[in-house]
Amino acid sequence: MATTLPYRPSNDSLSASHNPKTNGLPRLSPATSFVGRSPSTSHASGQRISAENAGLKPRRCKSQYPLDSPERHVEYILVASFHIDRGPIMEHQYPAPISGDESMLAELMLPDQTHVRSQDWTIFFLHKDTSGEDDDESTGGNKKKKRKSQRYHGNEEGAHIQHENIDEASDDEDDSEDEEGGEGPPLMYVLNLVNTKQDNTVRRGAVVKAMAICTRHSFLHIYKPLLLLALEDYFKSPFPETLASLYDAVNNMDLSLMPKLSILERHILQSSNTKEMFIEKFEQMIHQREDEETQNEDYPPSPKKASRYVLPRDTHEFESKVVYNDIPIPVKIPTVIWPETVGDFSLIKLIQTFAAPHAASPQAFPVHPHLTTSGPFTHPIIVLVNAILTQKRVVFLGHNRPSGEVAEAVLAACALASGGILRGFTRHAFPYTDLTKIDDLLKVPGFIAGVTNPTFANHPEWWDILCDLPTGRMKISSHVEPAPVTEGLLFFQQQSSLLLNHPSQANSDPTGDNLFMEDILRSISNRHGENAIRAKWRAYITKFTRVAAAFEETVYGASNLYIIGPGEELSPDSPTGQQADSSDPTTLRGHGYVWPDEAAKQRELSASVSRIEGWRNTRSYYSYIQDIAAMYFPARPIQRPDLHHHHDRLRSLKLSHPDAAAIYLALSHAVKDYAGICQLLTVAPENQAGLFYLSMGLFHPDQVVREATVELLDRIAAHPAGRHFWSHLGRFAKLGYFRVKRDRDAAAQSPISGPGSPNSSPPTSTTPGASFGGEPQSLVGVALGDGLSRRS
Amino acid sequence: MGGQVSKMMGKIFGTKEMRILMLGLDAAGKTTILYKLKLSNQDVTTIPTVGFNVESVTYKNVKFNVWDVGGQDKIRPLWRHYYSGTQGLIFVVDSSDTARLEEARSELHKIINDREMKDALLLVFANKQDTPGHLSPEDITNELQLTKLKDKLWYVAPSVATDGTGIFEGLAWLSNNVKTPPQK
Repeated sequence: MATTLPYRPSNDSLSASHNPKTNGLPRLSPATSFVGRSPSTSHASGQRISAENAGLKPRRCKSQYPLDSPERHVEYILVASFHIDRGPIMEHQYPAPISGDESMLAELMLPDQTHVRSQDWTIFFLHKDTSGEDDDESTGGNKKKKRKSQRYHGNEEGAHIQHENIDEASDDEDDSEDEEGGEGPPLMYVLNLVNTKQDNTVRRGAVVKAMAICTRHSFLHIYKPLLLLALEDYFKSPFPETLASLYDAVNNMDLSLMPKLSILERHILQSSNTKEMFIEKFEQMIHQREDEETQNEDYPPSPKKASRYVLPRDTHEFESKVVYNDIPIPVKIPTVIWPETVGDFSLIKLIQTFAAPHAASPQAFPVHPHLTTSGPFTHPIIVLVNAILTQKRVVFLGHNRPSGEVAEAVLAACALASGGILRGFTRHAFPYTDLTKIDDLLKVPGFIAGVTNPTFANHPEWWDILCDLPTGRMKISSHVEPAPVTEGLLFFQQQSSLLLNHPSQANSDPTGDNLFMEDILRSISNRHGENAIRAKWRAYITKFTRVAAAFEETVYGASNLYIIGPGEELSPDSPTGQQADSSDPTTLRGHGYVWPDEAAKQRELSASVSRIEGWRNTRSYYSYIQDIAAMYFPARPIQRPDLHHHHDRLRSLKLSHPDAAAIYLALSHAVKDYAGICQLLTVAPENQAGLFYLSMGLFHPDQVVREATVELLDRIAAHPAGRHFWSHLGRFAKLGYFRVKRDRDAAAQSPISGPGSPNSSPPTSTTPGASFGGEPQSLVGVALGDGLSRRS
Repeated sequence: MGGQVSKMMGKIFGTKEMRILMLGLDAAGKTTILYKLKLSNQDVTTIPTVGFNVESVTYKNVKFNVWDVGGQDKIRPLWRHYYSGTQGLIFVVDSSDTARLEEARSELHKIINDREMKDALLLVFANKQDTPGHLSPEDITNELQLTKLKDKLWYVAPSVATDGTGIFEGLAWLSNNVKTPPQK
């Protein structure tokens, strides 16, 4: 009889395959005084769990920046100056001349109007070994990067993935984000500082010099204090030795104790505000280092060592230092770097720049289907994102502003449209450029460029969107290409003519963008901070890709943007929420974005049709398709059911009890191992109520569902990242958790049901009253359970 | 009379605008002229222009948007990007730098032969009239071969940018002769 219970096999496989859980159980189960002894309220117990987890893991924790890596933090140091007869010239390059057009580099290093300010920062990118226009059509999946071959293979994912290509892909993704698969060699980021010094002893009274650091790391802003010191030194001693000492200093920076995280772990860390998230990994890195040292060196382990390596105060950043000329300069390196996130821009600043004038006096845009998706008064930030998504030419103009300011705006815009999900924007971004590069710039189809020269405003044929930073106004060019008519557009024109017949369709904000922007601006004014805003944009872009996938399925019958899990059906009318195989709860059908009803779906799709169609031929679209394929295994260890979809259903739909039960059972059965829990946590981020919707399963009328939820939560609470989510869960849910546990333990102890089958209530029961044994028995069980646990 | 008209226009239409592009070889005095226009009573010391300067100067009811673009030979090819919409060209010559007058002439003719500059007025400042060994405005006219120009309104004004001599006279000539409304 008990064998028919759906969760029995899972229980077995669980104890067999997942050791941490069994280890965690004694601490988690029967709690006598429940609130005080919750698994996570005491930090120590959480630590112990994590330590055990770490101990059980046979794998070594890898470094993001290993000591023995052949890659240098900084590859070149350059110095340029403005020669009063010849214009910009390159003075020195260290350790060797960087290939490419030297005079072009020197021009970039000496931005326009640098003579009117004493100091200016710029950022620009170099496509080393390739020229700007060669990688425009970057659809070829060439993974032949020389970097790759220097890298180790077989990372965490490698342990359970046999497929070699997948392993490589996951390794690729685990590497630093500047490696953009299939888009050619990684970009070289250049941080440049230029100083103008008045000097009466020289002809024409001033010396203008610039020093630049070229690195493959996108966190190039950490080098700012070093450039300040080194350029000052260079004015005093203008020799290659000055460059060499900076070069050596920055390349001696030790980041080897920064652990390497998987894509899911990075996702969790990024969307979490918990300062100790994945601290276990940092601990493990230190332990490994100390073990190595005791093996390699003669002196015995001393307490002194413990103080040598300190854990980060906040795991989002790794603290290190650069010693330049005997001065230790502290630097903080972000642990997680998303694609398209370069430098230290501020999304808040960008949004406020264009939102404030719009709020004060909105100006009507000329209507363009790709851009003005909510009519002529579409929010300028939405126009900007639409422009980037549909690969328009975007220019940020900051006349009389430092070039560093336009560069920041460009980088922020890239991050805005990417959300850390889409890519291909920074590769075609020109954070600072000037007239000398205009001919090359115009060969690039779709770019984001920053300029300070107002002559760009007089050339509407050079851009589709001009974003003027001083005034905070955006202009759509009269030269912008009209949007072509596409299949999807026609499809929805027919649909919408039907929809318009319904009088209830008078929705002023069908895309939801107005609401979204209001939410963003509210978050900004409530000082939720840059991270919160980035998380919201990430969610926005995620939603965009999911809506686009639903759109493709609707119009074209299949989508490039979503890989259908095993056993799932593509057809749009596949019965969401039904089990394909009644004996296996994980075969729950349904995938993709969740709308409350079909009308809402049609409304949103038809409102988004132009921008989705505009996106469908762009570089970021094709890169995204590649990413989905490459990320299928690393980012989706659980392919069935679609966790995101079903969690969204729990969150946004009012489900019947049987429907909800099917989801809770499916999640509890599917989510078992470390990676699976990570995946589940990524769809339930802290800023979207975390585990709250999952915990509602604790209050489901069916006891089987409640207990399946307890098991799931047990596993999550024992998980190094999950324990933080658990501790953020509200008291109400925790009370429910302990009540279900008590009930179960009571049942286990009760003489009526055997210990092997503690929950013998038939799965068909839907209310507590109807369930076998019901309430009175659990009350007995509580007493018994308590007594037992006290004795043990 | 032209001044009268421009005043009338000013009364009717408010201040009119004129886009001026100021070019010339490096160290001719372009930036000094620009800032002497902008800040008439102050001493101006300049350093080489990296890229460009742009300032608005209102004189006799005309708002001059003056673009001053760096003159080093390597960056001269960029000048053409400033042509479109320009109503007046100020070409500044160092009257004492006789060795480079031929170079100046060739650059000037390149500019004014561009299609986008065909309607622009040409004002030449024969600058640095205070330097020993300078050429007169007439000599400059000949050296630059201005008399060869057809269908072109031009004027050579002697100037000493550092003390402001002759600069506003040049501007007055521009404001009196501008006819086309600014192209936006």
